[in-house]
Amino acid sequence: MIDKPNLEVEIAGIKLKNPVMTASGTFGYGEEFSPFIDLDKLGAMVLKGITLNPKMGNPPPRVIETPSGMLNAIGLQNVGVEALIKEKLSQLQKYHTPVIINISGDTIDEYIKIAKRLDEVSESKKIAGLEINISCPNVKKGGMLWGTNARSTYKVVNQIRKITKLPLIVKLSPNVTDIKEIAHSAEEAGADAISLINTLAGMAIDINSARPKLANIHGGLSGPAVKPVALWMVWQVYQTVKIPIIGIGGIMKAEDAIEFIIAGARAVQVGTANLVNPEAPIEVIEGIKEYLAEKQIDDINKLTGSLII
Amino acid sequence: MANKRKKVRLVLKTKVKIFFKEKIVSDPDIYLMGLSASLIANEAKPGQFIHIKCSKDNYPLLRRPLSIHRIDKEKGEIYILFQVVGEGTKLLAQKEVGDNLDVLGPIGNGFNIYPESKKIMIVGGGIGVAPLLALCEGSIRQEKEVRVLIGALKKELVIEEENFRNLGAKVDVATDDGSYQYKGLVTDLLERVIKEGWLADQIFACGPKPMLKKINEIALKANIDYQVSLEERMGCGIGACLGCVCKIKTKGKKEEKVKYEYKRVCVDGPIFEGSEVVWDD
Repeated sequence: MIDKPNLEVEIAGIKLKNPVMTASGTFGYGEEFSPFIDLDKLGAMVLKGITLNPKMGNPPPRVIETPSGMLNAIGLQNVGVEALIKEKLSQLQKYHTPVIINISGDTIDEYIKIAKRLDEVSESKKIAGLEINISCPNVKKGGMLWGTNARSTYKVVNQIRKITKLPLIVKLSPNVTDIKEIAHSAEEAGADAISLINTLAGMAIDINSARPKLANIHGGLSGPAVKPVALWMVWQVYQTVKIPIIGIGGIMKAEDAIEFIIAGARAVQVGTANLVNPEAPIEVIEGIKEYLAEKQIDDINKLTGSLII
Repeated sequence: MANKRKKVRLVLKTKVKIFFKEKIVSDPDIYLMGLSASLIANEAKPGQFIHIKCSKDNYPLLRRPLSIHRIDKEKGEIYILFQVVGEGTKLLAQKEVGDNLDVLGPIGNGFNIYPESKKIMIVGGGIGVAPLLALCEGSIRQEKEVRVLIGALKKELVIEEENFRNLGAKVDVATDDGSYQYKGLVTDLLERVIKEGWLADQIFACGPKPMLKKINEIALKANIDYQVSLEERMGCGIGACLGCVCKIKTKGKKEEKVKYEYKRVCVDGPIFEGSEVVWDD
């Protein structure tokens, strides 16, 4: 009888006590969730995307519901890398869960400056790794543009690779013609892992006013609505790269996470579910445990890519 | 207050039981609902809200923020007052007495009644009266003299008038069509009351944005402190997603080109000083 299956996984050299991370942008800077869950129970925390300088973000409305999903156009509002280091990371020092910083830039130079700065403080502030956001659909410059082209993906990842030894996770955009090509470029450029998918670009219209429901006109779709798309992309990328994959997209409960793992994900990120149920990541961890026990699987790693066709 | 550090407020994720439900207005449908929620009632203050999961599944996906209408700490009960406007509130209205609701709360900063204030003016437009009854009760408990102005389209849509009066407030009503009491906008009524010489130390308001904006002008002119309850499309309700922001003027940063920043309605608000809100939208 297996009643204590192994949940530990390793991503990009980062040891996680379980494969459940929080997705950037849905988990604030971590501390917001401490009234609801024990942050030490998480596999890892990926914090709100950070830029070199503080960013004020887009005008409201920034979030709109769509069938089984939501569109957001926050516009990367964030405190900037210095305030992150000084204030937000300091608050997290008391926890033992690996902290991964999601970084964004308008230019390669900005990515490099942030990565360098975080590299400098990575030991004192216990930064486990970087997630490179080359896939945000809601900012005017940079963002998704990097991740929609194999060459620019290579360029930005490779440049960051050169200046830091921190584990690099590259977060891919689904808004591309061939996700495999982009994933391959990221791997070639030195990424240690790939996370996917970021949100799908979309829009919604108020038919009474004939105006877009989001002030930004378009936004990124997330939630259960995108899960089939995300799963298909994870499966494709799994067949393309050797580095570990982190599955993201509409994971609300353990069953969703398990689908991603079977499709090839080594770990998963819970995103939009955090906005509905702050306890969601913990429930997902518990559910995975139960599933493994029920199926008598002694190690979560055996589930990765176990899809039978 | 000298202490700049924010007080840690207790927010709970909890199941609460509906013990009371009544449709108080039809077309548009407005419901009053009582919830057995001793933990929330114990923590709650006027102006805060609870974030309710209205659906069982993923449609609609997000929670719905609803003002706490009334707080009974002794009985461990809170009330919500809501109008059916979309899928979420429609599902909520279908819940029955005895059903449980999954809620987060109490959330937000709440109204700030100053100890030195003697006279309080409360202005509610439409369903905007929802957070104001608890405020009225709190003000009267602090022995303030309270006047309430309620604005509605027509007589049938005037809500909670008697309840404010029963608390001991003087209540006046403005209807757009003149079918009840003062004919015109509640903001015109407010101007009249001020002109007549009833000057409040604080004005509190909740309702449609044009009303809130107009009251800001009136309050500025009369030099009266003004607090407003804002709403915005909301995601998490716990300050993490930055979905529900509003434009708030930045203070003391003259050198910066941008004179405002986006603050979260959920945890930085939902109550803001009228004078700090950028009313351009």
